[in-house]
Amino acid sequence: MSRIPRSYLLNRLVTLVLTILIAATLIWIIPRLSPVDPAEIALGRMAAGAGSVANADEILAQLRAQMGIDQPLIIQYFKYLGGVLVFDFGLSTASFPTPVSALIAQALPWTLGLMVLSLVITFVIGNLLGALMVWERSPRLVKVAIPAAMVFTSIPPILSGLLLMWIFAAKLQWFPLTGSYGLTVEPGWSWDFAQSVIHHGFLPALSIIVVTFGFWALGMRGLMITVQGEDYTTLAKAKGLRPRYILYRYMIRNAILPQITAFALKIGLLIAGQVLVERIFAYNGMGKLLYDAILDQDFPVIQGVSYVIILMTALSVFLVDLVYPFIDPRVRHEAA
Amino acid sequence: MTSPVLTLKDLSIEFPTPGGVVEAVKALDLTIEAGRRVGFIGESGSGKTTTALAVMQMLAEPGRVAGGSIDLGGTDILALNDEQMRRTRLSRVAYIPQGAMNSLNPVMRIEPQLWDAIIAHEGRLDRAELKRRSDAALESVGLPVHTAQLYPHELSGGMKQRVCIALGIILTPELIIADEPTSALDVVTQRQVMQTLKDIQEQIGSGLILIGHDMGLMAQSVDELAVLKDGELVEHGTVKQILEAPKHPYTQDLISSVPLVGGESFLNPDRRAEAPKRESSEPLLRFEGVSKTYGAVTALHPISFALQGDTPQIISIVGQSGSGKSTMGSIMLGFTPPTTGRVLFEGQDLAKIGASQNLEFRRNVQAVFQDPYSCFNPFYRVNHALSYPYKRFGLSQGKAQTQAAMEEACAAVGLDPDLVLPRYPHQLSGGQRQRLIVARALMLSPKLLIADEPVSMVDASLRATILSNIYDLKDKHGISVLYITHDLATAYHVSDYVMVLYKGHVVEAGPPKAVIGDPQHPYTQLLIASIPWPDLQRGWGSGLEDGAEDNIASAAPAFRGDVAGFELAKA
Repeated sequence: MSRIPRSYLLNRLVTLVLTILIAATLIWIIPRLSPVDPAEIALGRMAAGAGSVANADEILAQLRAQMGIDQPLIIQYFKYLGGVLVFDFGLSTASFPTPVSALIAQALPWTLGLMVLSLVITFVIGNLLGALMVWERSPRLVKVAIPAAMVFTSIPPILSGLLLMWIFAAKLQWFPLTGSYGLTVEPGWSWDFAQSVIHHGFLPALSIIVVTFGFWALGMRGLMITVQGEDYTTLAKAKGLRPRYILYRYMIRNAILPQITAFALKIGLLIAGQVLVERIFAYNGMGKLLYDAILDQDFPVIQGVSYVIILMTALSVFLVDLVYPFIDPRVRHEAA
Repeated sequence: MTSPVLTLKDLSIEFPTPGGVVEAVKALDLTIEAGRRVGFIGESGSGKTTTALAVMQMLAEPGRVAGGSIDLGGTDILALNDEQMRRTRLSRVAYIPQGAMNSLNPVMRIEPQLWDAIIAHEGRLDRAELKRRSDAALESVGLPVHTAQLYPHELSGGMKQRVCIALGIILTPELIIADEPTSALDVVTQRQVMQTLKDIQEQIGSGLILIGHDMGLMAQSVDELAVLKDGELVEHGTVKQILEAPKHPYTQDLISSVPLVGGESFLNPDRRAEAPKRESSEPLLRFEGVSKTYGAVTALHPISFALQGDTPQIISIVGQSGSGKSTMGSIMLGFTPPTTGRVLFEGQDLAKIGASQNLEFRRNVQAVFQDPYSCFNPFYRVNHALSYPYKRFGLSQGKAQTQAAMEEACAAVGLDPDLVLPRYPHQLSGGQRQRLIVARALMLSPKLLIADEPVSMVDASLRATILSNIYDLKDKHGISVLYITHDLATAYHVSDYVMVLYKGHVVEAGPPKAVIGDPQHPYTQLLIASIPWPDLQRGWGSGLEDGAEDNIASAAPAFRGDVAGFELAKA
């Protein structure tokens, strides 16, 4: 790390902390602009379960105290901030009184596993295909096939998910229809369980890859065209370098740089973007948790999930900022 | 006579386009002997780079060789397959492309960029052997060995160009093709780099094709000249033959378009305009102890001057890159705030200017920049680019009047308004665009024009035309001009007063006839000695003398004569 100037590091660190603070504040303000009273919703749910509720006012006051919403706003805000720092988002109103953090801890590994893996695969495939669309040595077939495959990019993920489900799960029965793992296996660090997880995760991952690789491929194509016209690419060819070496070390190596920044930004968007995919595959990730929370107006859960999304985005952008001086030496120069 | 390294026979190159086939090169016949330096000279679009790329088999799509043959030391280039051609590149014919600024991979250090060239042709060699050869190549072009560990952005333009030359000779090819290798460099660096290229080419005894458009540079660098125009070879002979007795009228034009220090002026001052009536008695532009530092680097040391502006004048600021001249221009335009001191325009401090005064200031002070290609928004036609500022500054009195003003401005810079106004910028040449920038400035009738290297990126034959346009701004329209340039010959002709900048200091100043005609300061002398003359009697020197640097740093500034209307505080 000695190669990164301290001022650069400090600058990024301050940006990181400020981003998280501002985002946490916004997440807190927005639900409070809504006229809905979460205590009344919880009461309504109790009433719906039991037919009727006696001493409604008393219970309401008790619920409000439990949720902490009977206190002045400013105190609520600082209590909230203090809680957020240790990932305490209060109790879920829908699955009362489960702590929100427990729900998130349950869902997060599934999403990280499925979504990050599919994002990485998409990133690699998309950029490679985008580069091949431009490379002059690519077989003609590749140049025709890739744009054709991009048709899938215009399909909403929910449709591609249903389509894949219908073909591979319903008709061919190669993969299970829904769920994160089989009902017959015990969750744990066993080979059976891992196999079941991969088996169940395959279709949701594929449906995400199929619809999103075009984003990377098209972006990469534009960047590659610019790099192709650069003087250093011309000189690389005039040096008599092997075409494949020019493709990797001169063209892709330079064109990929802005894509890496885009990758960091995508990490956060991915949870929000894949809500419906998780929903139709009944996959127990963050997306499904958020979806259900919105339906139930479960504000603490919405807040918690939003916070985690922002935290992930901010952290990945911070990480890319740290890595960037090593992959693009010009950045180090500017910072110094 | 030795055997030829390159024989072009009846070579034709065409570009099939939807609008028909464009013949870029027509029936070219040319032979280059080993050890000879041949210059390809002509304007952009004359086919000189296209011919070079054909030899490399690197023509841009959809270009193709339509007929004839290319013979490289006994090998028929056109008969080689892709892999054979790849092996031929660099090992037998090296190409040093234009624009050394971006010719190196920005994310790789210099060393691996030299090594990968060797490995591509000779396979993986021992590390120590690679290191020995890359260090030798760098040393042969006068670069310190530690350059190998640097990234391209850490090198100056001259150093990058030397790295490209080192690359070109690392496999000792039979032929080197250098495409305008010094077009991005200032005169002093240009002379040093050309000298390096010539020395190393003589050492390895290869043929050299030098592509360019500057007859002076050619005269000082090559043995033979091939003059190209519209894809045809119009004249070919030794430099001596061509300079002393050019046969083709186009060659004569190329020779006479080089502005010389002394000699006849390319300008024709016909009438002297009065400066526009000025309400203020304050000088038009005043610098009060202005300096600029970037961190530990001082770009401009404190300088004070006043330009009265009662009679229009052209003040030239000359120096090589890094001398602080562009920083000065940027401070004048109010784009860069000075670190110390004040800049006053008609008595008004630029640092304290309000929004409405700012609009007035922008109208009064116009600019022409170096790169005419990036000065236009590519989405709009020329008439929009010209009429928009005119309307924005509230000068328009209706459509017809705006149109008339645009036509008048185009005519003033020698362009046909019917031809250029309805076009998009990309449909115009660099020279036309630069003249339009001048026209655009003229429409606003400013009091001051800042011209920062306005002709360094246009073809040599067009430089004189654009400079006379700028000269006319003063002569016919009464506008004062600050002309920032590295080109002393043009400064000699257009300016009323010259300031020579060296590392942020004014080292010599006075009327051009004194400063440039008879330089006293060693730095000015170096600048003038670096100009390549289209005259074989006049040597070019090597530019690599030792001790010159110390000499310059220790010499006292030379202030020559004064000119009414411009006062420079002599520090």
